[in-house]
Amino acid sequence: MGKGYRQAPGKGKGKSRTDGKRIAGKQDFGVPGSGGSDPYSNLQDIDRIPASQGGQLKQPRGPHVHDPHITGQTIGKSTPLVDSRWKVTGQAEYGDDIRLPNELFGKILRSPHHYARIISIDTSAAEKLPGVKAVATGMDSVNRFGVLPVTKDEHAMAQEKVRHVGDLVACVAADSEEAAIEALSLIEVDYEVLEAIHDMEDGLLDSKDPIHDRGKYHIGDSNVQKRVFQQFGHTDAMREAKFQSKSDWSFAGLHHGFTEPHAVVAHWDPNGRLQLYTPQQVPHYVHRALSSVLDVPMHQINVIRTFVGGGFGGKSDPFPHEMCAAILSRKSGRPVRINFDREEVYWINRGRHPSRIQMEVFTDEEGRIAGIETDALIDGGGFASFGHVTTYYNGVLHTSPYEIGGFHYTGARVWTNKPASGAMRGHGAVNSRCAVEVAIDDVCEQMGVDPMTFRLANLLPPHSRTITGFRITSTGMRECLDEVRKQSGWDDKFRKLPFGRGIGVGCGFFISGSGLPIHWDPENFPHATVHLQCDMDGGVTVHTGAADIGQGSDTAVAQAVSEVLALPLDMIRIRSKESDTAPVDLGSYSSRVTFMNCNAAIRAAIEMRDKVLKAAWEITGYHPDSLVLGDRRIYYKRDPAIGISWLEAVHKAQADTGSLIASGAYRTPPMGGIHKGAAAGLAPAYSFSAYVAEVEVDPETGFVKIIKAWAAHDCGKALNPLAVEGQIIGSCHMGMGQVLSEEMRYGRTGHLLNPDLLDYKIMSVHEMPEVVPIIVESNDPEGPFGAKEAGEGPLLPILPAVVNAIYDAIGVRINELPVSPDRLHSRIEKKCRKMKIDDPMDLPNPTFEPSPLQQKLSNRAEEHANRDLQRDLLKDRSAYVNGVLFGFDPDLPLHEQSEGWRESVTPTPEDLADDSKRAARAWNHVERRYREENA
Amino acid sequence: MKTPPFKFHRPKSIEEAVSIASELKNNQETFDWVSGGTDLLPNYKWHINPKKHVISLANITEMRRHEAHHIGAMVSLHELEHGPTHSLIRRAAGTIASTLIRRSGTVGGNLCLDTRCFWFNQTEDWRRSIDWCHKCDCDTDADCRVIPNQNTLCVATYQGDLAPCLMVLGAKIHLAGPEGQRTMNLDEFYELDGMKRNVLEKGEFVTHITLPLESDQLQGDYQKLRLRESWDFPEAGVAASWKRNGNKIELLNVATTACESIPRLHSEEATEALNGWNGEESAKKLAEVIRKTVKPVNNTYFPPAYRRKMLRVLTKRALAGSWSDD
Repeated sequence: MGKGYRQAPGKGKGKSRTDGKRIAGKQDFGVPGSGGSDPYSNLQDIDRIPASQGGQLKQPRGPHVHDPHITGQTIGKSTPLVDSRWKVTGQAEYGDDIRLPNELFGKILRSPHHYARIISIDTSAAEKLPGVKAVATGMDSVNRFGVLPVTKDEHAMAQEKVRHVGDLVACVAADSEEAAIEALSLIEVDYEVLEAIHDMEDGLLDSKDPIHDRGKYHIGDSNVQKRVFQQFGHTDAMREAKFQSKSDWSFAGLHHGFTEPHAVVAHWDPNGRLQLYTPQQVPHYVHRALSSVLDVPMHQINVIRTFVGGGFGGKSDPFPHEMCAAILSRKSGRPVRINFDREEVYWINRGRHPSRIQMEVFTDEEGRIAGIETDALIDGGGFASFGHVTTYYNGVLHTSPYEIGGFHYTGARVWTNKPASGAMRGHGAVNSRCAVEVAIDDVCEQMGVDPMTFRLANLLPPHSRTITGFRITSTGMRECLDEVRKQSGWDDKFRKLPFGRGIGVGCGFFISGSGLPIHWDPENFPHATVHLQCDMDGGVTVHTGAADIGQGSDTAVAQAVSEVLALPLDMIRIRSKESDTAPVDLGSYSSRVTFMNCNAAIRAAIEMRDKVLKAAWEITGYHPDSLVLGDRRIYYKRDPAIGISWLEAVHKAQADTGSLIASGAYRTPPMGGIHKGAAAGLAPAYSFSAYVAEVEVDPETGFVKIIKAWAAHDCGKALNPLAVEGQIIGSCHMGMGQVLSEEMRYGRTGHLLNPDLLDYKIMSVHEMPEVVPIIVESNDPEGPFGAKEAGEGPLLPILPAVVNAIYDAIGVRINELPVSPDRLHSRIEKKCRKMKIDDPMDLPNPTFEPSPLQQKLSNRAEEHANRDLQRDLLKDRSAYVNGVLFGFDPDLPLHEQSEGWRESVTPTPEDLADDSKRAARAWNHVERRYREENA
Repeated sequence: MKTPPFKFHRPKSIEEAVSIASELKNNQETFDWVSGGTDLLPNYKWHINPKKHVISLANITEMRRHEAHHIGAMVSLHELEHGPTHSLIRRAAGTIASTLIRRSGTVGGNLCLDTRCFWFNQTEDWRRSIDWCHKCDCDTDADCRVIPNQNTLCVATYQGDLAPCLMVLGAKIHLAGPEGQRTMNLDEFYELDGMKRNVLEKGEFVTHITLPLESDQLQGDYQKLRLRESWDFPEAGVAASWKRNGNKIELLNVATTACESIPRLHSEEATEALNGWNGEESAKKLAEVIRKTVKPVNNTYFPPAYRRKMLRVLTKRALAGSWSDD
């Protein structure tokens, strides 16, 4: 394409005034003048304009509400992240790169005991050491904090008890690192060691010294922090189903393994305001926590997010060391920096919960999922963190993508004397998803059906409701499955590969933004807000609080603005780092940023566009409806030669209104059920994914090598395909680590044995197989330009895909992660013993004999594909709720149609009768308001 | 994490190194040798037995001599991988740790690698939380944490790859020290004690390795067990060498590593197996014997029972070349 229009303002043949004054919008800024690195604007690329707007961009899923705002600028183009040059040239400042004049080194004294009462702390010798400027203990920080308002159970430093090895006891600031380290050794702490709890099942029992005295809401004298019960559907009937898969899973705890250890700098500036520099995913919660811990109003604190060297959920809690730095800085009057060693990173943890999950999947003779029964006991470690939510997510996030006849969930989270678990990529959904998907593989084996067909015949359609009331809008689940089936050559490989080689499939389902924000009142406040300002230079500055943690949120927001305003990305400047200048944002968790922030950004950009178009109207005389925005130019729809430059219009708008600013916000629509816990897992949209993995297993050693993975993810619309593919491949890497090698390993004495990157086995590039990322676009009606999340959901399916592939390879089922070679080897040995085989190479290769049900399901899958097409493209919006597959009328309440249909979140004694269920034992205790009160 | 301060010595010849060591020894000073530093310096950062003096061997050019049958202790693992020595050594060298580490790590350092243990290779704070251990007891007389209630024997594991390969080729190790120079078979160099590790006296260090000329006629293989091929330490390793005469095997040697505090040469077991050798069947029997002989403990990543079982598989695989040409 040739060059389009020269972008210099004031060079056109406009009207000239005779009174000697300049015409607004005609100030000469010289050549090139109108911003962007290219002085010429390009004609609008018709290939990038949606068909609904008269362009040639195909829209297989139909038009989207944001189509009129597509200018062809950047959406859907693979775009390097806007901050990538800072990173690759080493100029990005991470937490540890912040250097303030006169700063002190902060160090933390940590507990050497799993669980102990602090009798006394003597800091006098440390305080006298030359170079030491401040020493602080729990006495300096008596206020509680915690990421969830309902479970604030943390302090900057231990008050009365230490709860795990590595728990914070005291901290020191000195003018050299050596002095700080020496000062720590001079602090004398007298402990009374208490009996520690390491096994999560012990956490269910009454304890002499419960790890937390939580005042209100005590569950007996146990260490149960949260218990969840949910029962929906035909839960009695499901247990009578013909095919049943029962498994008892054990999942090791995981750490996020981000590259950058935590680092923080706190500085009480000369005006008495706290400036806190920290690599945080959720700066706003730190802001709140600092305010309450330090007893300082929020406006006296500025939280500055540095570049974040990876978070994955591990930098989303407000952390005690952040409080420590602030306390030390306040005491010493100087900036204080605290950098973590890797081992401290493991002690602060917040990784994936070690879990024991009992999973039962029931299927009937029609090949339908009669029900899912799950019992999940999760090990929270020493603090609550996000655990309240995790306890729900372990259940509710596997009520889709399949239509199910019943759902029975008991979940409990216990405190133990380990580093605290928290949120990690795929929060709460990963482990139970793995268990469900492997169980489905198992029942398919019993039924004699291909697990791919089975899944395709049991999917919820678009615009439907799950059994617990989640609102599904768009779903590309079917397309994901179709794609991986086709691209992996599934039909030629499933149960047909030679012994030792196998192929497996798994699906995923994840929230795209949490419908109910943690610290917020959605009735009154929006989830996300974006402010735009445009000045004389024509560039647009975006103020957002969305935390770019490497996932590319700055880029996504810049793209949204750039798209609507038809400006190149280099004219969009993102200011997202300081709480002083950014509108409140709830942070980068629950895969909410693209969905919520880009929606807010689009709204802000539309407002700004309207102002600029109004100015263009006045200059050109054409009504905004007949004007088009295209690459720094605004022109008449029917004759592109008639128009003005962006800058010209901006100057006119500024002359008219004084300033060119705009603001946009996003809030979720009202949705979800009304039962207790209905909000957990509720999201404005959900992502779907399906993966196929091919593995090679060495039956003699138990080593598993992933040969290739085909990874299809429905992200609604790939705003930036490059970033989506990066997220898919990165998720695969992380999931492969969990399934094959990563675990936080606790030894005989309860100590974490591998708090380092040599023995915490993250896969290296050497072990990484080829991943074929497949982007599926289901065009979500409420997502920005149709987009949904792509950061967490893609992690889920790789685990079950690999586990199922191992079965296909050697016929051995796994129920313990990671599948380290020693674990798999012992399973192989067990199977050999059972089958009386000496050499594992003689084990039988699993085969597939389709039963008559296979054809039936195949037909149903075809019918459903047609049904989904109707609902998706042809806009059939008749009600569809989970249960239609079982013969229910979607327009009537389900419990009215069937007597056995349950919708309960309060267990009866009969519901908990099965005493083999672990989490269910959490109800053995009576809830009481204060521990001192009698039960 | 901060390396404790130490005085750094950089001798330019073996004689100078010996004289520095003698002087420090006479002054009752503590010191360590450092060659590539890939093992020692991480330990120093974790405050694991740091010394006041460190003597670097990096500037001693004669220790870099690298010929088919002579390998200087300061030859890097990367040079060894691409050097003129026996193919078994070259292949094994290429599997050690990662490329980056092989560029720094040396032959001498690999042979003298400190033994490793879950309860020992940890930071100072961590070790304080277990009340220290026998190998680094900080003057507390702490017990061994692997085998509780004893503080006489350290069972930390030797996880070097080169030693078993050099052993099965009949390598000799050459040492220099204040008391002069000495030479011995490599298998005599190691001592079954996770702390003493080898025969080196204070002030003594490894200068080079020599291989007998006859080793050229040996074929061999090295098999190792580790979770990630990219850079993990071996969890078990088996080196085998044999001399083939037509379809007959005339000489056979097997050595194991990464399962005990020392690498071990299984001469007797191999000789016995050679008697009536009939290929795969004999290899399987020998593999079973090796499994029974070696007794790993629970102090590395994989559990000991698994490592022993894998010794059987690795032995079988290491010997596979002796009856097939694949």
